[in-house]
Amino acid sequence: MAKQGYRYSAGKLVKHGLTRGDWPRMWSRPEARSSYDVVIIGGGVHGLATAYYLAKEHGVTNVAVVEKGYLGGGGSGRNTAIVRSNYLTPEGVAFYDRSLDLYNSMAQNLNLNVMFSRRGHLTLAHTDSALRTMHWRAEVNKLQGIDSSVIDPQEVKKQAPSLDVSSGTRYPILGALHHPPGGIVRHDAVVWGYARAADHLGVHLLQETEVTDILCEGGVGPDGKGAGGRVTGVRTNRGDISTPAVVNCTAGWASLISNMAGVPLPITTHPLQAAVTEPCKVFLPTVVVSGSLHVYVSQTDRGELVFGASVDPVGTYRVNGTLEFTEELAGHVLELMPGISKMRLLRQWSGLCDMTPDYSPVMGTTQVDGYFVDVGWGTYGFKAGPVAGETMAETIATGRDADLIAPFTISRFTEGDLVGEKGAAAVGH
Amino acid sequence: MIVVNCPNCGPRNSSDLRPCGELTPRPDPSTASLSEWRTYLYLRENPAGWVTETWYCRNGCRRYFTIQRNTATNEIRDSEAP
Amino acid sequence: MTGNRLPERPGEVIDRGTSLAFTWNGQGYTGYQGDTIASALAASGVEVFARSMKYKRRRGIMTADHWDPNLFVQVGDEPNVRAGSRCLVAGMEVSAQNVWPSLKFDVGAVNQMVGRFLTSGFYYKTFMRPKWFWHNVYQKVLRKFAPGGRIFWESSTHGAYDKRYAHPDVLVAGGGPAGMGAAIAAAEAGASVMLVEHEPELGGHLRWGDAADLAALAELTSAVEAHPGIEVVIDSTVTGRYDHNWMAVVQRSHEIAPERLIKARAASLVVAPGLIERPYVFAGNDTPGVMLSGAVRRLINLWAVKPGTRAVVLSANPEGDAAIADLEAAGVEIVAALDARAGEDIVEVEGRGRVDKVVLGDGRTVSADLVVIGIGWTAPTSLLNMAGDRPVYDPSAARYFPNQLPDGVLATGGITGNGTTDELVAHGRATGSLAASRALRSRHDRRVLAARARNPEGPKPEFLQDTRTPLARVPHPECYRSSTHGMVDLSEDVSSKDLVQASKEGFDSIELMKRYTTVTMGPSQGKLETVNASAVLAEARNMDMVDIGTTVWRPPYAPISLGALAGRIFEPIRRSALQDWHEAHGASPLLAGQWVRPDHYGDPVGEARNVRQNVGIIDVTPLGKLDLRGPDVTKLLELVYVNKWQKLDIGRVRYGTMVAEDGVVSDDGVTGRLGENHYLMTTTSSGAGAVWEMLEDYLQTYRPEWDVHVTAVTGGLTSINVAGPKCRELLLRLVEGVDLSPEAFPYFHVRRGSVAGVADCIIWRIGFTGELSYELHVPSGHALHVWESLLANGEDLGVRPFGVESQRILRLEKGHYIVGQDTDGLTKAPSAGLGGLVKLDKPDTLGLPELKAAYARTDLPMLVAIQPDDPQVVPMEAAQIVDGDSNRILGRITSSRMSPTLGRSVCLGQVDPSLAAAGTKVTILLIDGRRVTGTVQEHHAHVDPEGVRQNA
Repeated sequence: MAKQGYRYSAGKLVKHGLTRGDWPRMWSRPEARSSYDVVIIGGGVHGLATAYYLAKEHGVTNVAVVEKGYLGGGGSGRNTAIVRSNYLTPEGVAFYDRSLDLYNSMAQNLNLNVMFSRRGHLTLAHTDSALRTMHWRAEVNKLQGIDSSVIDPQEVKKQAPSLDVSSGTRYPILGALHHPPGGIVRHDAVVWGYARAADHLGVHLLQETEVTDILCEGGVGPDGKGAGGRVTGVRTNRGDISTPAVVNCTAGWASLISNMAGVPLPITTHPLQAAVTEPCKVFLPTVVVSGSLHVYVSQTDRGELVFGASVDPVGTYRVNGTLEFTEELAGHVLELMPGISKMRLLRQWSGLCDMTPDYSPVMGTTQVDGYFVDVGWGTYGFKAGPVAGETMAETIATGRDADLIAPFTISRFTEGDLVGEKGAAAVGH
Repeated sequence: MIVVNCPNCGPRNSSDLRPCGELTPRPDPSTASLSEWRTYLYLRENPAGWVTETWYCRNGCRRYFTIQRNTATNEIRDSEAP
Repeated sequence: MTGNRLPERPGEVIDRGTSLAFTWNGQGYTGYQGDTIASALAASGVEVFARSMKYKRRRGIMTADHWDPNLFVQVGDEPNVRAGSRCLVAGMEVSAQNVWPSLKFDVGAVNQMVGRFLTSGFYYKTFMRPKWFWHNVYQKVLRKFAPGGRIFWESSTHGAYDKRYAHPDVLVAGGGPAGMGAAIAAAEAGASVMLVEHEPELGGHLRWGDAADLAALAELTSAVEAHPGIEVVIDSTVTGRYDHNWMAVVQRSHEIAPERLIKARAASLVVAPGLIERPYVFAGNDTPGVMLSGAVRRLINLWAVKPGTRAVVLSANPEGDAAIADLEAAGVEIVAALDARAGEDIVEVEGRGRVDKVVLGDGRTVSADLVVIGIGWTAPTSLLNMAGDRPVYDPSAARYFPNQLPDGVLATGGITGNGTTDELVAHGRATGSLAASRALRSRHDRRVLAARARNPEGPKPEFLQDTRTPLARVPHPECYRSSTHGMVDLSEDVSSKDLVQASKEGFDSIELMKRYTTVTMGPSQGKLETVNASAVLAEARNMDMVDIGTTVWRPPYAPISLGALAGRIFEPIRRSALQDWHEAHGASPLLAGQWVRPDHYGDPVGEARNVRQNVGIIDVTPLGKLDLRGPDVTKLLELVYVNKWQKLDIGRVRYGTMVAEDGVVSDDGVTGRLGENHYLMTTTSSGAGAVWEMLEDYLQTYRPEWDVHVTAVTGGLTSINVAGPKCRELLLRLVEGVDLSPEAFPYFHVRRGSVAGVADCIIWRIGFTGELSYELHVPSGHALHVWESLLANGEDLGVRPFGVESQRILRLEKGHYIVGQDTDGLTKAPSAGLGGLVKLDKPDTLGLPELKAAYARTDLPMLVAIQPDDPQVVPMEAAQIVDGDSNRILGRITSSRMSPTLGRSVCLGQVDPSLAAAGTKVTILLIDGRRVTGTVQEHHAHVDPEGVRQNA
C-alpha cells in the first residue's frame, strides 16, 4: 500500500540520505473491485488527471483508471513535453491558458517537482503569410491577456543564438511569435504526480488491464450500444467491472474504444515521431518551432536535443517509426542550425495521435448516457492534460459539459461548427 | 518507408505516392441529408486491422487506386485500379 | 609516458612502420596506423579517459569498442567521438569532454560525497518551493553540468554528406563467421549480397582469437573477396530496420563524405551481429582498470597493448578463460583466476584513478591494477525488435534469443546460439541459402503479383520453410551482480541500488524504471545495461527474468550524424523563365511557396501608380495553369466550381470559386474556353498542385466515365500580365492576328495570336489590378523575348515592370480577395461575399449540402471592405476588430495597404454579420494598443467599383 499523504521535501531527502531508508511507494497495485462509480480508460496524463480532479474537487473517489500497459506508456511519455497557450482561436487560448496555470502550480499542488521550465517558446515564420498568421495569433493572445508577441530576426537571434537568421537561406527567418510563458515540463513526472495524488485519494490504478468491450443497454445498435443507450460496465482481460460511467482517454486508440460503445468518432490515428540526440554542452535556451519546416526542438538539461515533427502522412497503429522522418527532420533542423551537423541522433520513437478534421479535441458527453469522451487531442494532448482532467471531472460529476469544453463537444461535427485551429496547427508545438 | 504496389507502376516507395485515407463513398449530394453528408465528411472507422484505402501515384502514373492495408502491421494486399 | 606496446602479435592490425602524431588534452602523443584513439592512448599509458556524468567519477577503458560508455571524446570540432572505434588519424586534436576544469581535477567530483542524497529521481522530490527556485537557480546550475562535447558554430558540414540507395537481394548485418558464411552461401545461390561489418575489417571475434581462428578467418575472407556477388561494406552499421525491409546503413568511413547513409531495400535481411559482452555489477565496477574480457583480448591481440600488469580475472565462459591465456602471453601476472562457474566471485574494487585492491568472494584482498570480467553475453536484438520480434530470455543460457521473425528476416550466429567456428559458419551458410531462396522467390513473385492484380486466380506464392538445424544453446550461469551493489549504467551513473529503490517506489516495470532512473537512456543506448537492469528488477521483485521483459530497442542501433541523415541540401526553388531577368534588374526576391518571385523593383508604390497611369507588366507565371481537353470538361467545371458553366462560348473566360466538400472556399481562378473541347484553367499559385490532384481524383474515382484530359502547364507557359490604361496601345504594336479593339475583344474574353512574333500565345482580357489588362500565356522558351519586347516597345508609353507588392496594392484597391489570406480554413462560400455567384440549384457540385446549409445561416462572418476613418492609419494585417472598448473579438483585418490611388488606407476584413452592413462603424485594435474606428464599405472595391477602367 502506498503510504497515505507522504510529503516530499528537501528535509525528507536529507533524512532518507542519512538513514538510507526506503522511500514509500508512489502508488499501490490494488486488486480491482467488481464495480466503480467511474471507470476511466487510459492511464496517461488525461485519464489520471481526470481521476485526480474527480476525487479532489468532486469527492468522487470510487474510481478506477484502467491501463492496458504501464502508467504513462502512451503519448504521455512520448511527447516532446512542450506547453504553451498561444493558440489561434479564443476558445483554444482560454482552454490552454488554464492548462498552463495548472502546470505552473503543479509541483506545489501535487508535491512532486514536474520541472516546469518557463524558458520561452519561439514559432518561426519563414514566409510573409506565416508572419501574418503569427501576428494574428499574437493579437488574439494579447486580447486574452496572454504574453505573446511577434519579434524580428535580430531579436530571434538574441533568444536563440544558434539559429541562422541570415537572409540567403532557403527558409529565411523573417520573424517569430515569441511566447515567454511557454516551456518544457518533465512529462513523466506529470504522470507520476497525478498517479500518486490520485492513489492517495483512493483512486484505483489498474495497470496491465485491457478493456476488451464496453457494456451497454438500450441503444439503437447491436448489444444495446449506440445512440440512446447507456453504459453498464466494461469487460477487461481480468474480468468484468460494472459502472455507470466510462471515460475514454485513450488518444491514438480512441476509435477502437469508442466503437465498443457504438459511438463512431471523427478521428484517424497517425503516428507522431520524435527523436533525441547525444548530449552536447547546452546552447539552446528556448523552445524553437518552425511550422513551414515541420520541426520543433528544445534542449534538455542533460544537453540532448529533443526534436519533433508533424504527424506521419500514413495513418497506422504502428509505432516503430520511419527512416524518412529522421532524414527530413535532420535536413530541416540543419536549415535552422547548420552548426549541429556533427551531432548524432541517438534514438527515435513514435506515439499515436488521434487526429480530428479541425485539430481540436472531442470532449464531454455523447449520445450514449454515461459514456464520456476526452479524445481527438492529436498532437496537443500533453499541453491540455491538466485542464482536460479538470473539465472532464466537472462534466462527469455534474452530468453536463463544462463551459470551457462547450466548443469541443462531438455535436460540432453534426452541426458543422468546426473550430478554427487548423490554420495555426500544421505543426503547432 | 513502406512499399505500395501501384497497379501501373509496380512496387514503389510510399514517398512517391500520397495516401488519401480510408475509402469513403460519396453520397449523392442532391439527396443526402446533412447528417449523412457529415458522416461522409468526418466519421471514420479507423480500425486497427485491414482497411481499404485510396492512394495517389503522385510521382508516377498519377492514378488513384485502392489497396488493402493492415494498419496494425502495415502489411499490404493486392492493389487495384478504382 | 609509459610504454604499454607489446612485441608483435600474430593478428595485430597496427602498422608499426607508420607513426601518427596527435594530441590528447593539448599534449603530444603518437600511435600507429591501425590504432584507435583509445588503443594509441592506452599504449602510451593513459588510463583515465573521461569523467562520469553525475558523480564525475574517473573512467577508463571498459569494452574497447564502439559501445564503450567511457570513451566519448572531442576530436577537433566533432563532439562525442567514440575513441574505442575511431581510427587514429595524424594530427587529431583529441580532448576529454565533460570535465571542468580538467580531467585530472574536476570540481563536480564533490557530487560523489553527497551521492547518498542524489539517489535516482531525487530532483522530483525537492526544489518545489519557492516556485521560482527551480527555473531560476537549480535548472541553470544543472544545465552547466550537462555532459557531452562542444559545438563549433563556424564549422558546419551541412550539405557535405552523401546518400546512396541499394537494392540487394540479401543484406547481411554483421561480418563475423556466421555473417560471412551467410553472405557466401547467398551469393552462391545467385543472390546479390551486401555484407555490412561494424568494425574496419571482417571477422568478428575471430580477429582477436587464436591461431586457428586467424586461419579460419583468412579462409573466409578470401572466399568473400573472391565472390563477385558480395559487396563488403566495412566500418558501417545496419542501424535501422523499418517496415518492408527498408534498412538504414551508416557508413562511417567513405572517401567522399564524412558519413554516408545507405538506404537499402533488401528482400531478405540476415541479422548476424554476434554478441555483446555483459558487464558485471559490484562495488567499484566502474574504476579504471576494470575491463571486460573482450576488451583485454582486443587490446592485446589487435593493437598489441598490454592492459595492465597484475590482473584478477573472473570468468564464466571459454572466452573469459581465453583472456587468461592472452594476458599470460602478454606478460600480465594473473593474481587470481576466479571461476564464476564454481561460485568464485569479486566483491569490491578499490582505487581511484586505477584499480588498486580487489576484494574477492572468499574474503581475500589482493593487490592488482587490472580486473577482467568475462561473465556472460548480451544478445543485441535491436534489429530483431525493429522487425517486430519480441525476443525471449532463456535463463539456462542467460541471454535473449530470437522468437518470431517475419519471413524476410533471418538470424544467425551467436545471437541464435553457440558453436565452434565451423558450426557458426555452417549455420550462417544455411541461413544465407534460405535468405537467398526467399529473396529470389519474392523477386519472382513481384512479377507474378503484378500479373495477379489483373488475374486474381493466378498462382499464389509458395512459402519456403525454414529447415535449418539450430545452433545449440550452451548453458551459461546467470551472472549479473555480486553481493555488493555497483554501477549498472555507466553512461548515466545509475547503480543497482538506485534500481532497487525505484522498484520499491512503484517503478516496478522495466519501462517505468527506465523513465524514473534514466537507466539505458544514455549514449550507449542500453546495449550494455538493459539486461542487467532487467535482472536487478527481477531480483527486486522476486520474479523471473522471462516475465520482466526489456525496454524496447529503438532505432538507430548506432547513432548517426544529423548531417548524414540530412544528406545533400535538396530544397529546390522554382523560378520562372524570367527570374534571371528580374534579378538582373534589381528585383527584391520574395519566397512564395515553392517559387521565388520579384517582390518589387525598388519602388512598389511608384510601380503601382504607373499601372494606374501608364502601363506595367508583371510576371505571374506561378499562377496554376491546367490545360483541359475533352467533351466532358463542362461537366467537370460544373462539379468543381460553385457557379454555372454550361453556357461558356468559345472565346469566353469566366471567374469561378471552388469550395471543398465541407463548403469551405478552397481556390479560385478563371477558366477560358479555347476551342470546342479545349479549356485553360488557372488556379491560385499555392493551390496549383492541389487543384490538379483534386480534378484527377474526381475524374478517376467519381466520374471515370467522363472524357477529360488534364495537363499541368504551369511552368510550360510563362504568364505576363500587361496592365494599365496604355496597355492596349502597347499590345497593338506587338500582337498579330487578334483584333484588340474593345468591341472585338471585350473583357473576360480569350484569343490566340502571336505576340512579338511568337505564335500561338494565349491572350485573355482579365485582370487582378482593376485596370484594362491582358494576360499573355507565352511558351516559356520565348518568354524572355516577349518580356523584353514589351519593355522595348513601350518606352514612350512609360511601361515598367511591377512586382508582387504593387499587385497586392492594386488588387486590394480593387477589392479582390486572396484565398488563404482573406479567407481561412473555416470560410464558407457566403462569408467570402460570393453572393449570387453560387448556384445552389445544381444537381451536383462539391460541398453542395454544406453550401445549402451555409446559405441558410445568418451567423457566419462576412468579408467586407473597410476604410479607417483616419485615412493615414494603416492597420496591420491581422489587427483585430473588437467590440468597442471591450476585448470581445468581432473580426479582423485580413488585408491592408495605403492606397496610392486614393491617398488613404484601404482594408479587407472578416467581421461578425452584425457589422457587415455598409456604413457600419467598427473598432480596430491597432498593434500598438490604440483603438481606431473604420467604416464598412458598400463594395469590396475601393477604386472603380463600377469597373469602368477594366472594361475600357
